[in-house]
Amino acid sequence: MKIVVCIKQVPVGAVKIDPETHNLVRSNVEGDINPYDRNAIEAAIQLKEQAGGEVILLSMGPDSYISSLRDGLAMGADSAVLLSSRAFGGADTLATAYTLAAGIKKIGNVDLILFGRQSVDADTGQVGPIVAEDLAIPQITFAENIELHDHNVLVVKRLLDSAVQEVKVTLPAVVSVRAELNQPRYENPLNIQTSFEKSVTIWSEKDLDLDNSQIGQAGSPTVVRKVYAPDKATKQMEQLPTHASKAVTQLLSELNN
Amino acid sequence: MNNALWVYVQLNGQKVEPTSLQLITKARQIAEGRPVVALLAEDLTTNAEETVKEYGPDEIIVLKDDHFTQPTDGELADALFQVVSANTPNGLLFPATVQGRSVAPRLQAKLRTGLTADCLDVYYDGEDLIQVKPTYGDDIMCEILCPDHRPQMATVRPNTFNAEKVTGANVKITTATFTFHSEANIEVVSEKPIISSSANIADAKIVVALGRGADNDKTIALAEKAAAKLGGMVGVSRPLTDNPKFSHESQIGQSGNTIAPDLLINLGVSGAVQYTVGIENAGKVVSVNTDDKAPIFAVSDFGYVGTANEFLEALVNDIK
Ligand SMILES: Cc1cc2nc3c(=O)[nH]c(=O)nc-3n(C[C@H](O)[C@H](O)[C@H](O)COP(=O)(O)OP(=O)(O)OC[C@H]3O[C@@H](n4cnc5c(N)ncnc54)[C@H](O)[C@@H]3O)c2cc1C
Ligand SMILES: Nc1ncnc2c1ncn2[C@@H]1O[C@H](COP(=O)(O)O)[C@@H](O)[C@H]1O
Repeated sequence: MKIVVCIKQVPVGAVKIDPETHNLVRSNVEGDINPYDRNAIEAAIQLKEQAGGEVILLSMGPDSYISSLRDGLAMGADSAVLLSSRAFGGADTLATAYTLAAGIKKIGNVDLILFGRQSVDADTGQVGPIVAEDLAIPQITFAENIELHDHNVLVVKRLLDSAVQEVKVTLPAVVSVRAELNQPRYENPLNIQTSFEKSVTIWSEKDLDLDNSQIGQAGSPTVVRKVYAPDKATKQMEQLPTHASKAVTQLLSELNN
Repeated sequence: MNNALWVYVQLNGQKVEPTSLQLITKARQIAEGRPVVALLAEDLTTNAEETVKEYGPDEIIVLKDDHFTQPTDGELADALFQVVSANTPNGLLFPATVQGRSVAPRLQAKLRTGLTADCLDVYYDGEDLIQVKPTYGDDIMCEILCPDHRPQMATVRPNTFNAEKVTGANVKITTATFTFHSEANIEVVSEKPIISSSANIADAKIVVALGRGADNDKTIALAEKAAAKLGGMVGVSRPLTDNPKFSHESQIGQSGNTIAPDLLINLGVSGAVQYTVGIENAGKVVSVNTDDKAPIFAVSDFGYVGTANEFLEALVNDIK
């Protein structure tokens, strides 16, 4: 099975607004793999352990994302591809997914594309379904259990808003995963060592079959008008007595009024 | 192209997802004269328009087909695309539920327009639908718009707005023309409703919420007892979802549930923004924390400085 896992690097630590310039300041420029994407990598490695094949990591972002790709290789993925170019900058979910889909087409003959449920910075969960549409293949989002049947059929359990769904899909397909799916494995010393021997390929727009009007800022319908720190509504709090049973008695009597 | 503001009506089985009704009320409040249209896809045995009508949209567009009992995301997006692209409304709102967050982006990709996820507010500024969403997990909001593409799409967080019925509204009901296309290679094998013992925390009237300062078996058992006595549910902050006892389903906050109980009791929760955005619509908030400077107190009506355990013991003792 040829599995592509789309991973994103997200900032570690708090991101704040500069009170003067109103720009985002990242207190720590370091990045790490989006935590949900580790669940996707884990799912891919487990499927490979069952069915054989290969696990390829795919990311779109600046060259600094290579550190996260190396981390994913250290978990046990086989190779990595980074889509990196100034032309991809400023992409929203539509343009990001379009670019990733072009990368997946170039990788070729992919059976399964895995995503995290959402990135913790953009927090949209949109990229997976858009890639599925761009590749014209089925999607299963929010997977919390994946079973491999035959060599190319997955039965996926999916938790909806008030129901549990079981969906059967014949590959190729897109699946996005919840954290409940698995416990991502740690990078072990051997894998960390071999991760530096594994290949990380970098492609720019010149390597991909793309319509330039669909990538980067030009291909992004959404515009961020303003970024701000909201005024927090604070309440007038009543302090309850230090003695717990007095506190509870007072609370219950006031709540009942 | 038309200037209407559309709201997608999600069905959970035959029941209307409450967020869709909240969004119809919200749409009516912000529409500034634009018609509000509810978009509904249902099977032949469902009559959700009867419920939707009570919330007073100007029009309900109904897609009827028996495949809508258990459609795949792709099938739903394809059917909605046919109707949406034939009208190109000004705006299109989805609930930021699992279904909304799965189908809306697939539809967005077909429409090649913008979509903002998980908005906490939406309003018009001229022709632009301003979509307000939290970002970067931290104390940051952003306003996103989609100036040159229509419809302007957003998913909106559940329980952010109230649903209000409208009496005597004149609601036009239209049957949409479309063709249901079955999607190849994928099949929904089964869909089982989750029985309400694991009822949705988002709908609970009373919530006892546990944070890292209450993460021990004894305190958890007491909290469960207190919740049972009060007729409420136990919710958790994110760190507790690592405890096998709890899952994401009971998580409160930005990446969990927005709750709107009449009474919320926070135990050992520090009050990080990602948590507090989920409790903004709670009625009375009581917080218990050993640290008198914990930020949670700033959003509380009652505060108790002390341990979760001592407070819960007294509470369990006192409630009949
Ligand atoms: C993108 C992103 C999304 C997030 N989404 C969410 C989300 O949806 N929900 C969420 O909750 N968090 C979320 N978080 C995490 C959030 O930032 C906080 O880390 C988290 O809310 C802290 O949980 P806590 O208050 O339980 O723990 P802590 O911050 O560790 O606080 C524990 C509190 O317990 C008190 N305490 C200790 N002992 C006792 C005792 N015996 N009795 C009483 N009090 C005691 C302490 O004084 C402290 O105030 C998110 C973070 C990010 C980056
Ligand atoms: N720039 C990116 N490169 C690779 N994968 C991405 C990128 N952005 C998002 N993803 C994937 O899409 C998922 C959902 O991200 P988002 O839609 O940003 O919440 C993530 O968990 C990743 O699997």
